[in-house]
Amino acid sequence: MVATRIDLLDPWDVARLGGIEIVARGVVEGFLSGVHRSPFRGFSVEFTEHRAYQPGDELRYLDWRMLARSDRLFVKQFEEETNLRAMILIDVSRSMAWRGADARLTKRAYVDRLAAALALVLLRQRDATGLIAFDDAVRTVVSARVKGGQWARLVRAIVETPDGVGTAAEPALRQVTSLLTRRGLVVLMSDLLLDRRLTMTALQYLRHRGHHVIVCHVVDPAELELSGPAEVRFRDPESQATLVVRPRELARAYEATVARETIAWRSTCRRQRIAYHQVRTDLPFGLALRMLG
Amino acid sequence: MTFLHPLVLLGLAAGAIPTLLHLLARHEPPDADFPALRYLTEAERRSAHRVRLRHLILLALRTALVLLIVLAAARPLLRTTAGGGHAPTALVVIFDNSPSAGAVVEGRPVLERLREVARGSVNAARPEDHLWLMLADGVARAGERSALLAVIDSAGVAPWRLDLGDAVTRAVQVISDDPLPNREVHVVSDLERSALGSARVEARGTLVLVLAGATLPAPNRGVGRAVVTDGQLAVNVLGTPGTDPGAVTVRLGSTVVTHALAGPGTTLTIPLPVEPPGWWQGDVTLEPDEFRADDQVPFVWHVARESDVHPASDVGPFVTAALAVLETRSGPVVRLGGLPGPGPSVLLPPLEPALVGELDRALAARGSSWRYGQSGSPGVLASRALAELGGVAVAQRYRLERSVSGSDSAILATVNGEPWLVRDGDLVLVGSRLDTAWTDLPRRVAFVPFVDALVNRLVRGETPVEWMEGRPRIEFRVRGLDTVGAKVYGLDPRVSDLTAATAEEARGLGGMVLPAAQFAAASFAGGRRADASGLLLALALVVAGAELGVATLGR
Repeated sequence: MVATRIDLLDPWDVARLGGIEIVARGVVEGFLSGVHRSPFRGFSVEFTEHRAYQPGDELRYLDWRMLARSDRLFVKQFEEETNLRAMILIDVSRSMAWRGADARLTKRAYVDRLAAALALVLLRQRDATGLIAFDDAVRTVVSARVKGGQWARLVRAIVETPDGVGTAAEPALRQVTSLLTRRGLVVLMSDLLLDRRLTMTALQYLRHRGHHVIVCHVVDPAELELSGPAEVRFRDPESQATLVVRPRELARAYEATVARETIAWRSTCRRQRIAYHQVRTDLPFGLALRMLG
Repeated sequence: MTFLHPLVLLGLAAGAIPTLLHLLARHEPPDADFPALRYLTEAERRSAHRVRLRHLILLALRTALVLLIVLAAARPLLRTTAGGGHAPTALVVIFDNSPSAGAVVEGRPVLERLREVARGSVNAARPEDHLWLMLADGVARAGERSALLAVIDSAGVAPWRLDLGDAVTRAVQVISDDPLPNREVHVVSDLERSALGSARVEARGTLVLVLAGATLPAPNRGVGRAVVTDGQLAVNVLGTPGTDPGAVTVRLGSTVVTHALAGPGTTLTIPLPVEPPGWWQGDVTLEPDEFRADDQVPFVWHVARESDVHPASDVGPFVTAALAVLETRSGPVVRLGGLPGPGPSVLLPPLEPALVGELDRALAARGSSWRYGQSGSPGVLASRALAELGGVAVAQRYRLERSVSGSDSAILATVNGEPWLVRDGDLVLVGSRLDTAWTDLPRRVAFVPFVDALVNRLVRGETPVEWMEGRPRIEFRVRGLDTVGAKVYGLDPRVSDLTAATAEEARGLGGMVLPAAQFAAASFAGGRRADASGLLLALALVVAGAELGVATLGR
């Protein structure tokens, strides 16, 4: 029933159903009922069974030893590891505590719920999952574990981490790289209002350390299209810098700039073999989870 | 290029409005948080040049829009073809030969200068044009070019003041129905302020060209009216305000009565010597200046013998008291009240209505063409001959009816438009008894002078001295061997003020005010000039469209 799939409802409506735990659990229930297996295929996999070769199967999965022994064509099938280590990095800087409309979640609130849901999905697969919250410094660290009560710890850490006061997240990212010593999955959830070069340097370092990195670029729809009164003084909540503009006059140039920036992030990530996804804060959580998968 | 409404050009200052609005209407914008300010700053940096250029274009377009509208409102006239002939035109030339044209400026009469310009206008006409000429008498004369030129050449200084506002209005009316497509009125005048009148002329569809005023001898003194009352001469000295006083000489015949010094705006009161009964005349003369026409005016007055009034017994206490004040003498016998006698009689209606018939029969026996009729409705007195009667209430009255047409009778006062005071030969009929039950007149200050006029002047056929506009002179009215009245002719007192009209005041005549050099060039422009206001408005529309486009598409 579509009506019960709260993972496909508007995030603002879903968030009003209850706390993060309830929302995340409901989202995951709906999300998992729509898929037959985990979409998060780990980079470290193990063999499970053979099946007969069919035309079109990749030759690299052909079991050459079985072919030599029995002269029959079999391909190997794999299952993701149960001890995948996933670390969710969430940006709690001041810019995340912003929303462009009253009936919309702040970027931070959206990320909190999405991170909780993602962690639940991972933990249900028996993947060790941890969390790091940062602004201009690392604020909260929950080590990746799979034992019972881990999800509750993660959720509590999310809830108890206040909105950041910091403005520049690049130093924190460098600090994060030193915390992630074992290879695993790293999911960065941020509005990416960061210095792209410094940020990419940190992420590139993670890639070199063997991490699989996913960047979740969270944006409010109001950040994509400029609107507002005839003339307005915009203030950056982080730097307190101000700029007086006429939104209608600058809208086209602004949208072009945002599009240019998005393309730059996407292409830079692709070059570094980093998955990049832009997620709007009005996108249903289920679709966001599927996108990340 | 000339403008029909050049004063509107002052509105060009409104072209600064867009800039002033831009500078003054700046306000503190509302604040709002916006995390992606770095993108905004980048966008602003990239588009700053374009936005600034757009602002400049918008400012220029808005300023141009205001300027174009103001220019269009000023009705610019553009010359469309060079020189040559002109389209058939209906033209009225107003040649103002009023008294002020007789002033001498730099040794030359103003009239000669005006004559040249008027001749120029008529000379420039072509045979297919329709021409009229209006002089100071206000009569529009139609005619051929040669005939009108002859009238201009023969015209001297007229003794009549010309109201230019009325003259232009009449001229516009004269040519309004003319079939020719182009209509012009040329005002050739010295443009003294007092000639303009107060009305503003609406010359729709007619091009009015006004010759800019000549340099008038503004310091001028003139004599207004000289009126004798109760043995005293009152003289108004007029002229251009601020002119120094000058010597005034009063003569009776050839005898100098007095000299005095007076400037414009003063009134001299000069006692005259007691003269025996009869008509006496004299003149008041100012020392000469460049405008001589108003330097001398005649005056006349009548010293009458008081009548020997025989009042009837029932004339009432008010008439009796008035006669006591007048101290009637032993002049001609005048009967007052009762039935008419053989000589001059002033008749009042009887107390008893039953006696009206007897009075009417007596009037008929005297050969009177008037009789007393039925009672009339109450009302208010109106009189030209006796201005002091105006507005006096009448409660009771008899209608005065003309029984047969008579030749020597005059209605001197009316109530509700019906005769109330009538002179018929040596009979004067009054519609009401002179009693407060009939009329308020006995309560008024004017009552004794009225009774005086009745018994000493009106019943003897004398009329007051009248004043008429014209060449200064005196004309006497005679009846038989008797002189019964006089008319004193003189100039309109307003012509003595030679203050020149300003260009703005002259534009009240509904046209362009041009100096002589441009006057001829602008004549017959109907076929050679085009009103560019439509073109400017179309241009303004294009600019408005461009402004709209830049304002909306640039966003």
